Amino acid sequence: MIMTKKGLGASVKRKEDPRFLTGLGQYTDDIEKPGTLHLAILRSPHAHARILNIDTTKAKQLDGVVAVVTGEEALDYYGPLATTINISNNVPEIYAIAYKKVRYVGEPVAVVAAVDRYVAEDAVDLIEVEYDPLPVVVSVEDALEPKALLYEEWGHNIQLEWKTTIGDIDDAFAKATYVFEETITHNRYTGTPMESRVCIADYNPATKHLTVTCSTQSPSQVRTLIAQTLRMPEHNIRVIAPDVGGGYGTKLQANAEIIPCVMSRILGRPVKWTEDRVENLLSGMHSRDYSCTLKVGLDKDYRILGLKAKLIGNIGVDGTCQGPGTPALLVAAAYFPGPYKIPAYEAEVLGVVTNKGPYGAHRGYGKDIANYPVERMMDIMAQKLGISPVEIRRRNFIGKDEYPYEQISGPIYDSGDFQRLMDIALEKVDYHDLKKKQQEWRKQGRYIGVGMAAMLEPSGAAVFNGVFNGYQPATVRMTPEGGFQILTSHQNIGQGVETTLPQIVASVMDVDIDDIRLVYGDTDVTPYGLGPFSSRGATYTVSAVYEAAKKLKDKILKIAGHLLGADPQDLEMVNGHVRVKGVSSHEASISLKELGNKVYLWPGPYGTVPKGVDCNLECTYTWTSEVVKWVPDEHGRVNLYTTHPTGVFVAVVEVDVETGQVKINKFIVSHDSGTIINPMIADGQIAGGIAHGIGGVLLEDLAYDRNGFMVNADFQSYLCPTAMEVSDIEIHHIECPSPFTPLGTKGMGEGGAIPSPAAVANAVEDALEPFGVRVKDLPLTPERILEWINKGEVNHGRS
Amino acid sequence: MAEAGVRKKISVTVNGVKYEREVNVRTLLSDFLRRELGLTGTHVGCEQGVCGACTILIDGQAIRSCLTLAVQADGRSVTTIEGIGSPEQLHPIQQAFWENHGLQCGFCTPGFVISAYAFLSENPNPTDEEIREALSGNLCRCTGYQGIIKSVKAVAEKMQATAVSNTK
Repeated sequence: MIMTKKGLGASVKRKEDPRFLTGLGQYTDDIEKPGTLHLAILRSPHAHARILNIDTTKAKQLDGVVAVVTGEEALDYYGPLATTINISNNVPEIYAIAYKKVRYVGEPVAVVAAVDRYVAEDAVDLIEVEYDPLPVVVSVEDALEPKALLYEEWGHNIQLEWKTTIGDIDDAFAKATYVFEETITHNRYTGTPMESRVCIADYNPATKHLTVTCSTQSPSQVRTLIAQTLRMPEHNIRVIAPDVGGGYGTKLQANAEIIPCVMSRILGRPVKWTEDRVENLLSGMHSRDYSCTLKVGLDKDYRILGLKAKLIGNIGVDGTCQGPGTPALLVAAAYFPGPYKIPAYEAEVLGVVTNKGPYGAHRGYGKDIANYPVERMMDIMAQKLGISPVEIRRRNFIGKDEYPYEQISGPIYDSGDFQRLMDIALEKVDYHDLKKKQQEWRKQGRYIGVGMAAMLEPSGAAVFNGVFNGYQPATVRMTPEGGFQILTSHQNIGQGVETTLPQIVASVMDVDIDDIRLVYGDTDVTPYGLGPFSSRGATYTVSAVYEAAKKLKDKILKIAGHLLGADPQDLEMVNGHVRVKGVSSHEASISLKELGNKVYLWPGPYGTVPKGVDCNLECTYTWTSEVVKWVPDEHGRVNLYTTHPTGVFVAVVEVDVETGQVKINKFIVSHDSGTIINPMIADGQIAGGIAHGIGGVLLEDLAYDRNGFMVNADFQSYLCPTAMEVSDIEIHHIECPSPFTPLGTKGMGEGGAIPSPAAVANAVEDALEPFGVRVKDLPLTPERILEWINKGEVNHGRS
Repeated sequence: MAEAGVRKKISVTVNGVKYEREVNVRTLLSDFLRRELGLTGTHVGCEQGVCGACTILIDGQAIRSCLTLAVQADGRSVTTIEGIGSPEQLHPIQQAFWENHGLQCGFCTPGFVISAYAFLSENPNPTDEEIREALSGNLCRCTGYQGIIKSVKAVAEKMQATAVSNTK
């Protein structure tokens, strides 16, 4: 029997792979129109300075240079960067090219357009800028002092301030048998997609149309932001996103992309900007960089009575216009309670601006911020109480029968079963045996630790006030020959949608996925909608595609019923045909090709299509969630995320106490993301997320010195994990279908990145328990580990 | 910048085709392949020789084309991803990457395929640890390397099986 490739739940090989494997993919930099000029950007060497003068004379005289544009000159063609999201944020007036003042090292100061990139870069070296350096704000303390003001008009450096108290928090702590308080910090890091940002802008002065081809996750959203910033009619702008070499949240804005747009607008010619790696590290989106103080009160049975969280985020220059990062801190405040039952809750959030790079999204978007401190805290409390980290979690988990569960902080959790996930994780890692062996290994001088973190991954955000809303349209179309196209703004960024979305339509229509093509990446072609952010694919886009396919199926059945002289109710779709249910005779069946041909070509629609049905074999459905609640109640509570994958992640590590080196031996994952569309792709998402988590906890750190200079702005010193650092990852799924999506699916692209830093940090602490080590700042470099071991030895010696 | 205008004639064989071109002496080999010859399958991820996305073969040796000048390839034979296999006839390494989910966004993939190709030519029967080490000069931000290692292992096993059956 020949297996047709279709349907939900099958690990179908990806349709998109052959072109990527053979070098026939097409990324933005692979495209070049004749006459294209190449851009190079002069960037600020100062973290904070006034621009006194820019002299571009020499640069303009260089052979091959067509134009040099400064921030001031660009003002005739654009306004301040448009706002991506604004939820109680202070929004700065800030431009794509610095005007009057620079606020971070790497901020664009002037732009050269030349015949090729080599000449453009030569010309950048010839631009002379006079700066008046200002005091630099690097740390949260600098910002609050304030050592200087980034935006003088604000009178302070606070971009976000928010607080809520729910329940009798004082009473909870008064009644608590045990009270613990810890401050937990996280380093600044980012996604560094292998393809940095690239943008080609082509403005036609005659038609006044602007075509922008760029490496983005969100073509429609970028179109809106460009229109607003350039003050151009949006219907005259077309954004094309070809193959995108990774995003992870970092390609969800139009800040740098505005520069080619304005250059092409000025020059009336196509221009191309290809970001290099140093530019990407300096000015691409940063994330994390926070300190969180948690206070937890427990009763005598170790059940949580109250939780207080105070989160302070170091945003950097901005997280509202440059990128959408600032509201991530609010997401954290909504999700600190995580997988646990919390009777009383208080959260306080402060986001300060500093002279570091822009703050955006990066795999986690505040859900990671909610997870890391709490999952570290669970382990710290267990250590102090002398109980198992398993036990303290088990006593506080939300029970499987309590879903949908309304968390104290507002979110409604759709489904899950943490106890079972914990059972599976412990069994698969052989936890009790490992803990026994750990003692023997220690006697041999080997320090092996096992650490866990429970995971809650809110997915499919519907963020009000901005370009990250909660709707998604999809069109499903049948061609005259019976094949299908799916049209959506949901960009392929490597997550496999060219395969998984056809799997959805294949399951509705009972056709092979090779007869279905996903069409995306062009705002002139797809319905206006949103791209992949917040792991929304399996929540929003899948649901939209499913509903649109059902609508189209309904129409096809009506037409087939008319053609076959049968009641549409009695028809079914089987293997590319519509037939009377259960009947296999030729007369009682029509192929989709025959049907498409009859409607569109031979003879055509008259008489072929029944009365009351239009002949367009195309249906659009816009999916919105029924559970989103964005009017805040008296405590400021909202419910923005429709689905919640869950899991328990366990890391096994070995620490070399001589060198301080941490080696991850393995990761065991037990995981629920509801109905799984393609298990192979789902596992790939989890593994990729874990690698980001491992990078953040062990290696990656956007490090600034006291002058606001990034000390490691290249891949030689900013270390991404390689195949040597990412261990084997073993994944086990349970399926708790979401009651809030039509197929029970849950978006799941970030779940790997959310808990893995805590799992590793907890494992390292467990390995080094004989030394009394408390893991503090990240990343866990060998230098830090050795310092803690030495300190621990001293303390032990004294005690 | 004195050298900026200096041009030199080179003759390079790429994927079996001989090209004679005059290039600016400072042109990177990666730029020559991508812009002059239109072979855009070779990707540039860092321009610092770290990420391995631009890996190609020169006379069978894997090298970073972003750290090599086009003039250095004069008189030599270059193989890029386009010369390894085609969609109609994938090389066994490409086939294994497809079957084992060894790629997601695809940007780093050509570099990984070429590195694996060079590695397996030297070590056709590697251990997991040797595979990890051999590929540690290539960065992937999507897969967490799970599918990549699985792919290389699968193709090595397959090649071993073929070699054994051929010797019978």
